[in-house]
Amino acid sequence: MTETLMGVLGQIAWPLALAVAWLAGEFGHRWLALPRISSYGIAGFAMAASQGGFLPDPAGGPVALLADVAFSLILFELGYRINLGWLRANPWLLVTGIAEAYLTFYVVFLIAQALFVPLLPALLLSALAMSTSPAAVIRVVNESRSSGQVTERTLHLSAFNCVLALVAFKAVVGYGVLFSAGSIFQAVWSSLVVVLVSAGLGALFGAVVPGLLRFLGGLARNATVVFALAVLLLTALTDALNFSPLLAALAFGVVARQRRVVLSQVQRNFGALGDLLTVLLFVFVGATLDWRQAFTGVQLACAVVLGRMLVKTLATTLFARLSGVTWRKGMLTGLAMTPLSAFAILLLEQTRYLKLDLLDEVAGVMAVILLLEVLGPLMTRWALVWAGETQRREEA
Amino acid sequence: MPLEPFKSAEALTMGVELELQLVNPADFDLSASASDMLHLLGRGRFPGDVKPEMTESMIEVSTDVHVRHAALLAQLEQMRDALVAAGDRLNVALCGGGTHPFQRWFHQRIFARPRFHELSTLYGYLAKQFTVFGQHVHIGCGSADEALFLLHALNRYLPHFIALSASSPFFQGVDTLFDSARLNSVFAFPLSGRAPFLLKWEDFERDYFAKMEKTGVVKSMKDFYWDIRPKPEYGTIELRVCDTPLTVARAAALACYLQALCRMLLECADAPPAEDDYLVYNYNRFQACRFGLDGTLVHPKSNEPLSLREDILATLRRLEPHAAALESRAALEEIYRVAAGEGNHAGFLRRQHAEEGGIEGVVDAAVRCFREEVRT
Repeated sequence: MTETLMGVLGQIAWPLALAVAWLAGEFGHRWLALPRISSYGIAGFAMAASQGGFLPDPAGGPVALLADVAFSLILFELGYRINLGWLRANPWLLVTGIAEAYLTFYVVFLIAQALFVPLLPALLLSALAMSTSPAAVIRVVNESRSSGQVTERTLHLSAFNCVLALVAFKAVVGYGVLFSAGSIFQAVWSSLVVVLVSAGLGALFGAVVPGLLRFLGGLARNATVVFALAVLLLTALTDALNFSPLLAALAFGVVARQRRVVLSQVQRNFGALGDLLTVLLFVFVGATLDWRQAFTGVQLACAVVLGRMLVKTLATTLFARLSGVTWRKGMLTGLAMTPLSAFAILLLEQTRYLKLDLLDEVAGVMAVILLLEVLGPLMTRWALVWAGETQRREEA
Repeated sequence: MPLEPFKSAEALTMGVELELQLVNPADFDLSASASDMLHLLGRGRFPGDVKPEMTESMIEVSTDVHVRHAALLAQLEQMRDALVAAGDRLNVALCGGGTHPFQRWFHQRIFARPRFHELSTLYGYLAKQFTVFGQHVHIGCGSADEALFLLHALNRYLPHFIALSASSPFFQGVDTLFDSARLNSVFAFPLSGRAPFLLKWEDFERDYFAKMEKTGVVKSMKDFYWDIRPKPEYGTIELRVCDTPLTVARAAALACYLQALCRMLLECADAPPAEDDYLVYNYNRFQACRFGLDGTLVHPKSNEPLSLREDILATLRRLEPHAAALESRAALEEIYRVAAGEGNHAGFLRRQHAEEGGIEGVVDAAVRCFREEVRT
């Protein structure tokens, strides 16, 4: 009897977890004013097997691929909102982006070294810390319907630092491969080639799909489904070839945007499909974390999270006036860029095939991610509210 | 607060106010960026005046007082360039047009100022639905009585300005079939429409304003949303029916058309205005909103039907000597081109919609028009 029950439970584990997480998201939003994705993550973490829950470790399974798809959709949407012309018109924004990303790398590396993290994991951790998770940012922005400079800058800078982080991460991986396997070919393949081919594939999709849409006509009706299908295909393709679905999806979005076939309003988040996959994505991220690992690295985590937040805020504040906003909005942009989790987890997930296992040694990484899982979206939300860029409640 | 005294201004001077849309270039929806734009513009020297409007996604600019078309146009172009440059630094696009084609009024954010919040509380959704964009033209008047005379003498020409400026065919995502859907939003306000027919300022003050003030409904002239209203503190009348055109050149041309018209009216070229002129006023106004230049007017004196387009062309011929005197021939030539051939901006936007196939393409075209990257 118990066995049957456990068998059934095992089969419905994921759908059940999604339903529970969704409920947690709604209640957390209503009662505690938590961004929904924070609750999804906490729920996923709580239900994971490593915490004594019923969710098996999803790493490497089909759920991981679905999470990739969810994240790719978000990255595509982010790419679609990126205006490359803005960087030309306002070069200080570009400077801000480069400064905050590389300073973060440097400071986190110093912290890790100071806390006796070995070289290679310290480099990987620093590369991860550069990024701002676009999933959290774009979900919070859409959820609070915010609009203004902090919103726009956070979106642009996070797209920017994701690319920089990804390149840095792949470079470190390449270095690691060279170090452990001694093969230059494999090292170049797993860094340079992966980055270039992934971006190239994305750009190719970005050039072809809008053309196809124009050819088909009736844009408003078809665009969402066509883009979603293309993202799905692109993700599966890059994943099968062990390229980077993240970079490909972002490049797809950016290039498609330049070809100007506009997504209309109703298609934000890719509608209900995007909402559902987001629940899955954040439950997945939460479920990959193990509290024992997290707990042992708590000291490193606190130092990294704090250092990262300070550096990002410092950089965005420093260049605020030069790039045309108030000091205050500059500072809030830095705060809004706190989230990290989903991007980091998926990036780690995608290097699993290399069997480097470097980061599993560093307990602190998991703790950083867990801490930012809750804190990140909250900081983004608060920053947007403090900047006065969200819809005020009485008017909603 | 009693009505302030009417300050006399130099006759036939003019000033232009434009309410502009702030648009996110990513999805072409309205962007709540007025505070950011004002901050950045406030740091440099803006060639004119700029201030916030009701919602965070609109901005209002106004020119100095001008006498000649060339100077007015030059200032408008400088202001446009400053705005576009600031917008580029903040990833905000600007455009004209009387309405945003697909924004949802309930998504608009009220600009943080006590007066705007008061209005928002009073008018509720009307205030947000009022996210529409108009051009206001001020004409200086030598005296208060002259202002009231002009205000009423213009009643018959009002549809001209509606039809010539119309640039709001789309609203809330659909083609309204109106050339100016914006005015329908304005009409929803209880104190909109026409001014009472009083030609002496003291009568206006005693028999109308004081009484209205006593009712508690209004506190100042600001509370009236009339099509044309006197503006005592400037010594002007203010024409408020124009949609913001897509280009500043069209805005300057409309102002000069009004200037020349006022010069002609001050010479008593027409029969004096009468209360009965207003019998056909709302009908004519509707024709202009709905059909633009293809509308049919009823002449208030003779009651004969007139083609709006023909009426404008006939008026332009009568204005020739005045345009020469005011050095505004170039402006009236633009008006002539609109009436005789190329049509108003509502028609341009409809053509863009047909060609682009999407409502976002309409905003894109408006943005490029404002930057003068495309001709209408």
